[in-house]
Amino acid sequence: MTTPTATSAVGGAAPTSGSRSAGPERPTRRPRRSGRGRWVGWLFVAPAFLVYAVFVLRPMAVSVQYSLYEWNGVAASTFVGLRNYANLFTDSTLYGSILNAFQLIVFFSFVPVTLGLLIATSIRQIAASKLAVVARTVLFLPQVIPLVAAGMVWSWLLSSTGFVNQALSWIGLGDVTRAWLGDFTFALPAVGVIGAWVLLGLCTLLLLSGITKIDPSLYEAARLDGAGPVREFFAITLPSLRQEIGVCVTVTVIAALASFDIIYISTQGGPGNETMVPGLQIYYLAFADREIGQASALGVALMVLVLAVVLPIQWLTKERDR
Amino acid sequence: MSARTSSRPLAARRLWAVGLTAAVAVTAGCSAPGGESSTPAADASEGAAAGETAGAPTCGTEPVTMSGYFETGFPLPKALADEFTEQHPNVTWDIREDQFAVITQNAPRVLADNPPDLMRLPQMSELAQDGLLLNLDGYAEALGWDQWPASQLQQMRVGDDGARGEGSLYANGLNFSMTGVFYNKQLAEQVGMTEPPQTLADLDALLQSAKDAGITPIAQFNGGATGGLAFPLQNLMAAYGDAGEINDWIFNKDGASIETEANLQGAAHLQEWIDKGFFASDVNSLDYATMMSRFIGGQSLLMFNGDWESGNLDKQMPGNAGFFLMPPAEAGGKQATMSAPLTYGIAAEAEHADCAAFFLDWVATDETARTIAVEVGGSHPMGPADAFMPAVEEGTVTAETLAAGGKIGEDNGAMDFIANATGSIYAKSWTPNLQKMVGGQQTPEGLLQAVQADYESELG
Amino acid sequence: MIVNRREAFVGRALLVLLMLITLVPFVSLFVTALHPSGTYPLGISWPASPQWGNFAAAFQAADMGALLLSSALIVVGVVPASLLLGTMAGYAFGNLRMRGHRAVFLLFVLGLTLPFEGILTPLYFQIRDLGLLNTRWAIILPLIGLFMPFSVLWMRAHFVNVPGELSEAASVDGASTWQQFWRIQVPLATPALTSLGILLFLWTWNQFLLAIVLVDDASKRTMAGALGAFQGQYGTDIPLLCAGAVLILAPTLAVFLIFQRRFVAALLQGSVKG
Repeated sequence: MTTPTATSAVGGAAPTSGSRSAGPERPTRRPRRSGRGRWVGWLFVAPAFLVYAVFVLRPMAVSVQYSLYEWNGVAASTFVGLRNYANLFTDSTLYGSILNAFQLIVFFSFVPVTLGLLIATSIRQIAASKLAVVARTVLFLPQVIPLVAAGMVWSWLLSSTGFVNQALSWIGLGDVTRAWLGDFTFALPAVGVIGAWVLLGLCTLLLLSGITKIDPSLYEAARLDGAGPVREFFAITLPSLRQEIGVCVTVTVIAALASFDIIYISTQGGPGNETMVPGLQIYYLAFADREIGQASALGVALMVLVLAVVLPIQWLTKERDR
Repeated sequence: MSARTSSRPLAARRLWAVGLTAAVAVTAGCSAPGGESSTPAADASEGAAAGETAGAPTCGTEPVTMSGYFETGFPLPKALADEFTEQHPNVTWDIREDQFAVITQNAPRVLADNPPDLMRLPQMSELAQDGLLLNLDGYAEALGWDQWPASQLQQMRVGDDGARGEGSLYANGLNFSMTGVFYNKQLAEQVGMTEPPQTLADLDALLQSAKDAGITPIAQFNGGATGGLAFPLQNLMAAYGDAGEINDWIFNKDGASIETEANLQGAAHLQEWIDKGFFASDVNSLDYATMMSRFIGGQSLLMFNGDWESGNLDKQMPGNAGFFLMPPAEAGGKQATMSAPLTYGIAAEAEHADCAAFFLDWVATDETARTIAVEVGGSHPMGPADAFMPAVEEGTVTAETLAAGGKIGEDNGAMDFIANATGSIYAKSWTPNLQKMVGGQQTPEGLLQAVQADYESELG
Repeated sequence: MIVNRREAFVGRALLVLLMLITLVPFVSLFVTALHPSGTYPLGISWPASPQWGNFAAAFQAADMGALLLSSALIVVGVVPASLLLGTMAGYAFGNLRMRGHRAVFLLFVLGLTLPFEGILTPLYFQIRDLGLLNTRWAIILPLIGLFMPFSVLWMRAHFVNVPGELSEAASVDGASTWQQFWRIQVPLATPALTSLGILLFLWTWNQFLLAIVLVDDASKRTMAGALGAFQGQYGTDIPLLCAGAVLILAPTLAVFLIFQRRFVAALLQGSVKG
């Protein structure tokens, strides 16, 4: 699930960067067309809009409507006003799931972006080597497979008899081995590791492709000035990658907030409610507990939350280009 | 400039047209949800019980494909279905399988929107109240189920108020299973167990000696969405208290509470077991299958489980698996345990309800079917008290579990499972709270309080 | 320079480490699939006698033939339609720019960050009322809608960069907008369309949430959804489950490795265009 939204979210950057370069052309071909031409334009948009309206906009609106009712999906419904929203603030499992999603951001977003930056910087000079070409393919593998598969494989790796514990014993850390996904302290971070694994390759390659576009003479000049790798990084690399970083953060943050597949497969929200996230909670509420209203209210909250987090990121990372 | 102004109304109109399309699409859903959609509830709750007028139901002679929704990992339903087809070749099966936790999540929407003819049921009071399950009273009368021992069907009766235990019949069992403690005979000998523990103190001592011998005392699952510690917990609660009171709570009797002195003692005892390390250290991530594999593989002395595994254990560790009932707190006290039908129901909208009812009756009365129920299922068959019983080989764990059933009958100690008190009490309350108890984040008092609070809020 | 050489070495080492981390789960999956069915292998260990037959058993158990067909049908239902509708709308927004297009375009942008779970509940009832539950349409139609914002934005970004003179020249020739679109614009958009097609294929094939909620019958699901069902049914037999997972991953991995250059390019562009 995260893959589509995630990368589609990135598309948010596509039109902006596109229109930026197209900016100067705009005035030249503006209102040349006759009334008929414009009329035709709407015909071109209509089919796409129809599908979008029926299968996305309508459910969005209905979500808001459902969220004001108490309904079990079968019998008649009762109007309850904003009570379902109030519950989001008072029911600890509900707001707990939202807080968990924010904690996941650390692993889904902060870790891949930071590590990705580090790695991309270190391999800048060998970006064109054979090894790097092979790496491109390998690092993309986690992006290609379904998240469910990633969740399945990793639950096996992280189990008490899995490879992670095996490897820890090899290096003399036998004492820390445990069933990671069943541990109250480590279940959420363990799920986070799965997400980080999925997203690290993508971030690294995105950042690397950004780095290779930086003018090499900038680095040469810095070296001549006696700058070390650290100063180079902060003076040249980081500022130049602003937009790529913005994209990485956007994609990964959405992946964290809207996570479902990995958790559904690996922990089902347990132990306790340690790894419960809004996506899974909505699924349980709607289909197991049959609290359609509450599920919809959480759904609306999730949509708003994602926008509230993503818009500032987009705004911040775009500023430089103006 | 003039071109621009003149075209404005036109453009605006187009925009309107598009906007209108959206508006129409959007407002399509503006009446209150559930208001207009036809629901199975309307048909089923008013309608007379199925099968009331017609004679005894049959599967006819025309080809029939029965849709089934069964539980993964248990060969009994499939074995019965195959044998049924053998005897009634016009009936074939289209079977979907899921793990029990998934069936619990899916039950309402599958029953409502994709109604199976025969389905493994989770807790059923809400499903019955919402009219998703077929009322079987008519079939029961036509097929003579009302002549069976009443206790067999009691758990599958739901009253108008949603309380279980009495009222209309909404399901039947494929057999009647019983739970208790399985042990590995070899390991038991190794730690010096000569006879099954007679008191709770004996059991504690046994567990400790296993622990001292470096053997994991108890294999139990408690990971994901399935809190398997509910098995030992309920056994412990019943060892201290009265099985009838626990049953009242499960059946949603007025004023029933899980927060009793005896239950608290039971929960505290479980806490002790956790603290002493009587469960595997990764109990919170163990699933049912892993538990079975560890017990069969000889890694644990005991396992709290049901006789549905008896047949399997006799096959996988022949002669090496034993069974005893949870001992009472005081020597000679009454014994109680969870005992429940392997519940299968028919969707209210099922296409082949008659055939499904006929199948359920066949399961309880056909001699081959009863033999399969015991040999594959490991549990006592449903049906009349004097019906055919297959011979069971002495010394098998199947023989032991069937014999234990008699003792429970004498002591009137059969209880339903605490996980069945409401539709979501297991997934939403018992499981997370038991997992928290293992993780040191919940106390025995807190566990019972939290569960009681969820119970009350769900029953409204 | 010496510094450079040392940096290059560190870079290589890091890269190799990163690749290892990426590959370990795949290796684990594969090795576990070779253990005798029904056992619980410890960590990553090569089995005493590899059970290659597990793959055949899983192929049968998972009914792979039917799954492949089902996923292919769903992809055929989603991708061409999304490409066509997305391109048409993208052309209108990027090139025709009729008055008021901004407002509608913004509506599409709104859908870009939408978490599918947000509309899952109403979507379920809508699909039910349309009588489409448990059919492939239940996955196809919503996915076309859900992918539409991305498709439209993607194609708009392409058309915005097409020089305006092109369509002006064509207008002078008297070609209608429709002819112009098909004869001139679409052929020019082929690279953008290919990349978009690859992305849509991947997202459809891997779609899980809609599949498990809207379609109960695993043989009418996407590959990812079928994997979920396979786990439900064989979760008790780890080697068989792993063998099934390997088989379910194989088609995507094969397609990826064959078209990897395009894939990588598409995925990278899918993130930052340009």
